[in-house]
Parts: sequence; structure tokens; C-alpha cells
Amino acid sequence: MSIKYQSQKIAQDFFTFAVVLFLVQVVVGLVASLQFLWPDFFFLKFNIVKTLHINALIVWLLCGLMGATYYVIPEESESELWSIPLAKLQFWATVVTITAVVLGYIWAGINPQANGTVLGTLTLNEGRKYIEAPRWADILIVISVLVFLFNCFMTVLKTKKWTGIQGVLLGGLTFLALMYLPGMVYMKSMVKDQFWWWWVVHLWVEGAWEIIAGALLAFMLMKVIGAPRHALEKWMYLEVGLVMFTGILGTGHHYYWIGTPQYWLWIGGIFSSLEPIPLLVMVWDAFRTTREARNVTNRAGLYYTVAHAIFNFVGAGLWGVIHTLPEVNKWTHGTQITTAHGHLAFYGAYVLLVMSMIYVTLPAIRGVKEFNPSRAFQSFWWMTISMVFIVLVTTGAGMVQTYMERLMGLDYVTVKATYNLWFWILRAIFGVGFLIGVGIFVVDYFRLGREPMPYVSPAPEKA
Amino acid sequence: MSNRAARNLFIFGSLFFFVIFLAFTYDTMGKLDQRAPEVTNEVNAGKMVWHKYDCIGCHTIFGTGSYFAPDMTKVSDRKPKGYLKQFIMDPRSVNPAAAMPKLGITSAEADNLLAFFDWIAKVDTNGWPPKPILAVAAGVGGRELTAGQRVYQSLGCSNCHAINGIGGTSGPDLTRVGSRRDRAWLFGHFKDPGEYVRNSAMPKVEAPDADIRQLTDYMITLK
Repeated sequence: MSIKYQSQKIAQDFFTFAVVLFLVQVVVGLVASLQFLWPDFFFLKFNIVKTLHINALIVWLLCGLMGATYYVIPEESESELWSIPLAKLQFWATVVTITAVVLGYIWAGINPQANGTVLGTLTLNEGRKYIEAPRWADILIVISVLVFLFNCFMTVLKTKKWTGIQGVLLGGLTFLALMYLPGMVYMKSMVKDQFWWWWVVHLWVEGAWEIIAGALLAFMLMKVIGAPRHALEKWMYLEVGLVMFTGILGTGHHYYWIGTPQYWLWIGGIFSSLEPIPLLVMVWDAFRTTREARNVTNRAGLYYTVAHAIFNFVGAGLWGVIHTLPEVNKWTHGTQITTAHGHLAFYGAYVLLVMSMIYVTLPAIRGVKEFNPSRAFQSFWWMTISMVFIVLVTTGAGMVQTYMERLMGLDYVTVKATYNLWFWILRAIFGVGFLIGVGIFVVDYFRLGREPMPYVSPAPEKA
Repeated sequence: MSNRAARNLFIFGSLFFFVIFLAFTYDTMGKLDQRAPEVTNEVNAGKMVWHKYDCIGCHTIFGTGSYFAPDMTKVSDRKPKGYLKQFIMDPRSVNPAAAMPKLGITSAEADNLLAFFDWIAKVDTNGWPPKPILAVAAGVGGRELTAGQRVYQSLGCSNCHAINGIGGTSGPDLTRVGSRRDRAWLFGHFKDPGEYVRNSAMPKVEAPDADIRQLTDYMITLK
């Protein structure tokens, strides 16, 4: 395995930054899980720890997707990137901006008064979940993404070679960039604030990101198995089409209880309950293609690709649909059921997606013919088993909370501190398991292709 | 289906659904202001306080947020203003077991935040959060309530206090309060909590003496 175009190497810079942030995300996640038991456990309070946890997640996934795109575009358009120095510059600008934002969160955590207002916006932390980054950082992030898109589009325009995969990939990324904008307008009304906030959050993870996932899934199946492009692209169009047909109006499932008109109960209920269908088609697509696989050299890449398809469906699809109907959601909304869904959905749909792209492309970037996939498998099972149990105990906590708080009328604090205590303890234990899995992955990432294949001693001759 | 047809289906189908979504968005924007009170400067300043201290990093509002601390949608209906203000500014001076840290929220900021919570509580949320089925049913279970129990209910004491596990945790648990306090203490404390408990965030009970006596009788039975 080797790369055809030198510009594909830029992907590795983004992957490395992503992997480091992944480790940070999981370490602070473990701190957060311990704060459910001891709120004063860390020098930062839960709100800042949680902000770091979800922001690190979003940023490392975005960096992983940008790296993946820098790998895919030259290969699909059969040309070097339009400008490698521009890509390098964009990478370092992103790293510097993100580092500044993170330091700002920590500073605001230590001294909340430092989070002052300049020109009507907060300078360190906007206090809006997922998009806490302050306005100055928003602008820098938008510029960075525009530079990135410009570089990719110029590459494609230069060669005039459009493929379905790169078209859908860039379409998804453009949609992603556009949907960041509604989050940048200040709304005096909290109802309108949350209305537009969901455009960013929902139309990202259940719209733009799933389109990107569909394109990358097709790319990976083609690379790993050598499946024919024609059929893959047709199924890709159907998958991402269904994502949009269900997902856009599916936004309505966030407009049940935030002060928006009642008709959203119908729109959201109907369309969001159809959202698992495209994800199921993706699973079927992965199985259909891999059934014909014979000589797969990159077993880790294949493994992660199929696992991504399956857990995308289970986490984003099944765990979402169980509480998406308004009649159910009325009772479960705002409980740990949502937390459970969030964890399995992000893990299945996007963590495994970026990891599979890393395992599919990294051997080629490093010019490795063959690599030992045993650490890749180990980290997969440590992470996946731990995450499944984290999600099961959190779902259990959510069910107890729904019953005791919402149906019986017990106080939130009573339920959290007493009836759910053992769920928190178990979650922290499985969190350690997940961290072990991530640790193995990080080691594997830095050593892949940089150490000799393990020497297999020949079977001793019989005397 | 050809690849070209599949691609066109994706592109034009997506545009079609996005246009419908935009139409509903336009309609919704026109209706939102009738479903909520006017946003005054005070409410807006309170919203900025909510953002400044990253409150959503622990709490939820309209059920959206971080699931680590109670939902704030109806907090203003359920807790007395004085209690809320004192708690927001220094949580552990009111309730030593509170998980919330002292964030340095000033008195003016707290007032604005309360105005913001007042506004939030008045938004038409299609009936969310729902009233708990069993807790609502418990009050009308066929059994006649005593006069003191009726006063306890009508004053909303259970928003902050719990008896036999039902009720809030902001104030002390009352399950066995009758074995800890005598009649004189209880009656005097209802009239002016601050006289009896230092730093008390409980409001004075604004009710006729006859009602307060019945409430005291009820408390004495809790042993």
C-alpha cells in the first residue's frame, strides 16, 4: 500500500491532532463520570469539564474528516492538491485557534468573571452547548473551513474530474459549513436561540455528517475490498438521499417542547422515526459488498468499516428511535436516556468512521505493505464492549430517572444521588475500560508501520 | 435505476424537503412571539448571565443541556424567589449538601437571572414538563386529607421539602420533623424562619395564623 500523490500526506497531520484530542476527550470524560460521584473531584467544575469533553469530540471528529477529505480528493481527482502550503497553513491555523479556545474555557472555568462581554458577545465561552466557542473563534473556524473547501474545490476544478464519491463528500462538507452559520446569530429569546441552535446541531449530526459518512463508507469499501465503484455510488446516492429526506424534517423532534408550535410533534414524530432506514441500508450495503471479499490485506480497515456501519445504525438509529415519538419523549426528554443515545450515536456513527478512515489510509500514507492488526482489534473490543456497557448503564439510569422523577414525582437530586448511584459507579468503571482501549489505539496509531512485523518463528522440526 | 437518476433523486429530493422545512420555519418564526412573553432588557440580561457562567454545562433548560443538574424550565414556579437568589449566589450557605459551586454571581446578576427564569416558565412548551402521574394522583387518592395536609399542599411546601421520599431536596427532609421540633419552634419558625435558622433561605409563610397552626399540627404528627 502506498499513496499516489504526495499531498495525501497532509491527512496524517490532521489525524495526529485528532488522535491527541480523542485522548484528551476521553480523559476529561472519565473525570466527568467521577464528578457524578464527587462533584468537587477536579480543579475544573463539571460544566467546564463537560464543555471540554464535547468540544474535543466535535473538533477531533472534524479534523479527522478534514484529513480524510485531503486524502480522498487527490485520489478521486487523480491530481495533487491545488496547494499543499495552503493546506499546511490551514492545519496550523486550526491547531492554534483550537488551542486558544481550549485555554479560554479553562481560564473561564477557573475565573468565571474573566468571561466578559465585548461588543455584545462573551469573550471566552458562549455558554451554548457544543458551540461554546466565542464569536472571534467562530469567525476563525469559518475562515479555516472556507480555505479548506476552497483548496478542495480548486483541485477538482483543475482536473475537471468529478466522481460521485468526491461530489457527495464535498457537498456534505459545504452543507456542514453553511449550517455552522445559524449558530452565530445572537437571539434575545431563548426559544429562538434553541430553534437555530438545533439547525447547527441536528443538521450537522443527522444531516451533513451522515452525508459525509455515506461518501466515506463508499470510498472505504472500494479501497479495502476493491468493490466496483458503479454499484457503490448508486447505493451511496440512495443512502444519503434517504438521510436528507428523513433527517431535514426530522429536526422537528427537537421542536416538541421548546416553545414551538404543536405541529412539530407530528412532523418530528413521523420523519424522525424514519431516520434509521438509511442507516439500515448502509449496514446492508456494507454486508452486500463484503460478502464478496476474498483477499483483503487490510483486515483492520475492513473490520472498522463494517463496525462503523453497524454501530451507526444501533447508536444513532435504534437508540434514537426508542425515544423519538412525542408520546414517549414527553416522559424521557431531558433524562439520561438522551445521554445514552448521544454516546452510542457519536461512537458508532463518527468515532468509528474516523478510526476506520485512519486504518484504511494510514498504511498507505506510511508506505506499509502489511501491518499487524492485533492492537487494532484489541483496542476495538476494549472500546466497544466498554461503550456498550456505558450506554446500557446510562440507559438504566435514564429509565429509573424517567420512572421516579417524571412518573412518581421524586426530586431530581434524590434520584441522582441515591437511586442512580450504582449506575454512576459502573459507568466510571467502564469508562476506565474505554480509556484503556483508546490508549491501545493511540499507541497503535503512532507505531503503525514504524516497527518491524513480529517475527513468526518457524514450526520446530520433529526430532 | 441509473446512477444519474439516483444522483438527481438525492439532489432534488433534498432541496424539496429543505424548502418544506424553510416554509415551516418561516411559519414558526411568526408564531413564536405569541407563545412567550415579551423579552425585556432584564430578561435578556438574565439570559447573558445564563450563558456567561455556562449554566447549561450542568443544567438543562427546556430539557436540553447537560443532565447533571435539575431542569430550569419551571424553577421559577416551584421555588420561592428569596431562596433562589440566596442559593444562586452561594449554594452551600443554604444547603451544605449542594453540588453546585459558588460561581461569584453578583446580586444584580442573580436578579436578572430570576427574571429570565420567570420568562422561561411562562413559555408555552406544549405541556412539558408533564406533571408526574403518581404524585398528582396521590393527592386525590380517595382518602380525605387532614386540614394541615391541605395547607401543606396549597402552599407548595413539597416543592422544596420531602415527606416519605416525595418532594424536593432544597430544604430539609420533613419525614420525622415531629420528633425533632416542638410546636412552639415550628409555629415561630413558620412566622419567621430567619429568627430560628441562621442563613435560612425559606420565605416567611404568608398565611392566616389558623392555617399555620394546622400546618404545625400536621408537622407534629410526622414522627
